[in-house]
Amino acid sequence: MISLDKITKSFGTSNAVSDVSFSVPEGSFLVLLGPSGCGKSTMLRMLAGLDQPTSGKMQFGDTLVADGIRGLSLPPADRNAGLVFQSYALWPHMTVAGNIEWPLKVAKLSTEERRARVLEAMEMLSIEKLANRYPGEISGGQQQRVALARMIAPRPKVMLFDEPLSNLDATLRVEMRFELLKVHAATGATAVYVTHDQVEAMTMATHVAVMNNGRIEQFDAPDRLLAEPASAFVAGFVGTPAANLIPIENGNWFGTMPNPLLRDYSGHAMVRAEQIKLADEDGPHTFEAILAEVVPMAGRFLVTGIVNGIRVTAVSDQVARPSGRLRFRFPSAPAAIFDKQGTRIS
Amino acid sequence: MTTLLGPIGSALNKRGLTLAVALALVVLVAAPLATILVQTLYPSSAAWGDVLASRLSQNLFWRPTINTMIIGLGVAAGCVLLGGFLAWLVVMTDVPGRPAIAFMATLPFMIPSFATALAWGTVFRNGRVGGGGGLLEGLGFSVPDWLSWGMTPTIIVLIAHYYALAFTVIAAALATVNGDLVEAAQMTGASRKRILFGIVLPVVTPAIIAGGSLAFAGAVSNFAAPALLGLPVRMQTLSTRLFGMIEIGQTERGYVLAILLIGISAIFLGLGNRMLSGRRSFATIGGKGAKPRRFALGGARLPLALAAWAICILTTILPILLLVAASLAPSSLALFSDWTLHYWIGDADPAFARGQPGIFHNPQLLSALTTTLILGASVALAANIVGILIAVALTRQKVPVLSNLVSQLSFLPMLLPGIAFAAAYIALYGAPIGPLPALYGTKLLLALALTAAMLPFAVQTGRATVSQISGDIDEAAKMTGAGFFRRLGAITLPLAARGLAAGLLITFVNVIGDLAITILLYTPTSPLLAVLSYSYASDGFHQFANAVTLVILIISMLATGAATLLRGRRRQSFT
Repeated sequence: MISLDKITKSFGTSNAVSDVSFSVPEGSFLVLLGPSGCGKSTMLRMLAGLDQPTSGKMQFGDTLVADGIRGLSLPPADRNAGLVFQSYALWPHMTVAGNIEWPLKVAKLSTEERRARVLEAMEMLSIEKLANRYPGEISGGQQQRVALARMIAPRPKVMLFDEPLSNLDATLRVEMRFELLKVHAATGATAVYVTHDQVEAMTMATHVAVMNNGRIEQFDAPDRLLAEPASAFVAGFVGTPAANLIPIENGNWFGTMPNPLLRDYSGHAMVRAEQIKLADEDGPHTFEAILAEVVPMAGRFLVTGIVNGIRVTAVSDQVARPSGRLRFRFPSAPAAIFDKQGTRIS
Repeated sequence: MTTLLGPIGSALNKRGLTLAVALALVVLVAAPLATILVQTLYPSSAAWGDVLASRLSQNLFWRPTINTMIIGLGVAAGCVLLGGFLAWLVVMTDVPGRPAIAFMATLPFMIPSFATALAWGTVFRNGRVGGGGGLLEGLGFSVPDWLSWGMTPTIIVLIAHYYALAFTVIAAALATVNGDLVEAAQMTGASRKRILFGIVLPVVTPAIIAGGSLAFAGAVSNFAAPALLGLPVRMQTLSTRLFGMIEIGQTERGYVLAILLIGISAIFLGLGNRMLSGRRSFATIGGKGAKPRRFALGGARLPLALAAWAICILTTILPILLLVAASLAPSSLALFSDWTLHYWIGDADPAFARGQPGIFHNPQLLSALTTTLILGASVALAANIVGILIAVALTRQKVPVLSNLVSQLSFLPMLLPGIAFAAAYIALYGAPIGPLPALYGTKLLLALALTAAMLPFAVQTGRATVSQISGDIDEAAKMTGAGFFRRLGAITLPLAARGLAAGLLITFVNVIGDLAITILLYTPTSPLLAVLSYSYASDGFHQFANAVTLVILIISMLATGAATLLRGRRRQSFT
């Protein structure tokens, strides 16, 4: 179990992480999701013990690993945690097997034990054949596997990942997602995974913490983020495609077309792509749009048009008319409404 | 498409350019080296016997070689220690004033080694070889010979000159290991000591070897320091011996020494290379990289900062200040009293400095100044034009064998001690070749040799510039139908201008500070500033030597400053 209580990290006068609290049960897969600069990597470094929180408490199971006010911070090795770096940080002067073995040597394991662990880790990631190669001689995907093997060989209870897939191409990324989940399932350790890619969060996580500006916008299971986004930021960040956020002004769509169900709210209304239909002619809740793009997806089409300068995406079974103009029909009620600050109000 | 390119352009677009630069390199680099070897073997190879196995060889070869090796190894060790220490402080610790230290630590290389050697003399010289003592004797200390002359001061001066090389190389390597690699080791719970010996040192070792072997090669080929500090007490190195042999007309013996010197320098550079190539390429993958962690020095912070500053100031500002004082003080024993501008602007006065006028009244200086400036500018221009042509040929045309030859030959002068290279030029161009007259004693020969010697640097600048302008940009211009020269003028040159200008200035600085090549090839009627300074110093006119050296330093500093400005701004505009 990992639990955080009001963790804050300041650099000088600015807070990289402010007042973050959450807890996840043992064996879960927590994803810290957010745009770059949101504080997620700082969070991870504090979990690893590479940075110390300015205030707040952090517990792994029953062990207090960091307490900002008391200046307590267990060194990385005493936390029983492993970290996979974005750059992989493989030691270039050691072979693949050497890289995996070194942490075990530092931990003073016996020679036989080390040999068994190195072999086990390499087998789990199918890199036995690379044992005697140097990091500079293997591909990026293979380096990623070595980094993973090096992390799991000491059998940490907490596995930390810092955007581990961001240096890989799209195909490898999908393959490695599966490998990561396999490793997670096989070890039963608790994983904390930092990414800016919401697809990774949605496919891998048991828990997601969406971060923005050093704060947690929402802490929930992946499907809950889609069903019940807590803020406009979350609604616009997750989902493929992300939900449309339509500006509303005093109960009018785009400030022009009134809708009683919007009452007199101002801010943004969330309309999911699957709630928007393509209409042939004018009617209630229809808007003229200029066609921007059509993306075929799983036998259907994502049709994006520009309405009043805002990109609106609908899911449709047919391709839009080639005239370059189209009409969207909005549902009578939006899925959610957010105020101007982005806070959900209905 | 060929019709759209000019006829010259289309010829150049094939393999003509590579062929042309290969030819130029053969004339500039390969031919002199081949000649020097041939001339020692044919018509007679007696010179080899004289140098290696005769009554003379003890004095001619073995003793100078031992001295050369001691200097080379001492300087390499000193440079690695000093450069490594500063690199560690700047990259890995929280020592105050890191950017300033990093900047200062690269400067000594810009100060010609004869300037540092002269500055050493102003403090530590004793009266043993005439010309008066230095500052310390003036203060009443008796300076022992070993501190005034010979091996110790030569090694110290050369370390002060070359440690900048080791610093640059080691700092770059440390910067790659700092950050993720160290943190990955910290995650395992390894102790600081274990991280240092298990991770940091092994990753940095190639850089240490590279820095050490570069310093070694520089030190064994250096002429100025052993000549100024060693010759007065008859300490000979291979380069001073080689100079002596050619000066007294025993050119074959000189050539043999030149070949041996090239051999020694090459063996050590080769050894270094071999040790490096046995290891894997240590390129690490770039991540966003955590902020490099700085090792907190705690109580040692201030003393270490003071040590770093002391090293930097002792090797950059202090020598210059000493030279200024020494060029103003009539008595070398009292550097800071009775200052006079006589040595700069005084008229000839029989009561003063044996009637020598101040340097600005010396017609020789004025002619040396113009010759140096013109030579520096033309060599810089020539070397960089050839350099960029070579760079274009290497990146845009891949001709089997020939491209490889061009790349090797253009890098070769880097491995050749300047004075040996100059000897090779005398060997080839000293006598008439067919209808071509002998070039010995002409400025053209000097210019050719310097151009060839500057090529490795010029090619590097050229390559950086050419690769900076990606193939895409050139191809985008090609799509519009613009010809080779049109593209060169409208696209390539404007983009490359800043980089080229900076490269030109640095080449210029290297040329005007060179003594090893110019000392053998200068024309007696109009010597260069560096040669003038050297001959003043060897005649015992130290104030004049210092003043001339300062003139060189001022020009160098202006040019270096301008180059730094150009580079700095260029980095912002194109990435």
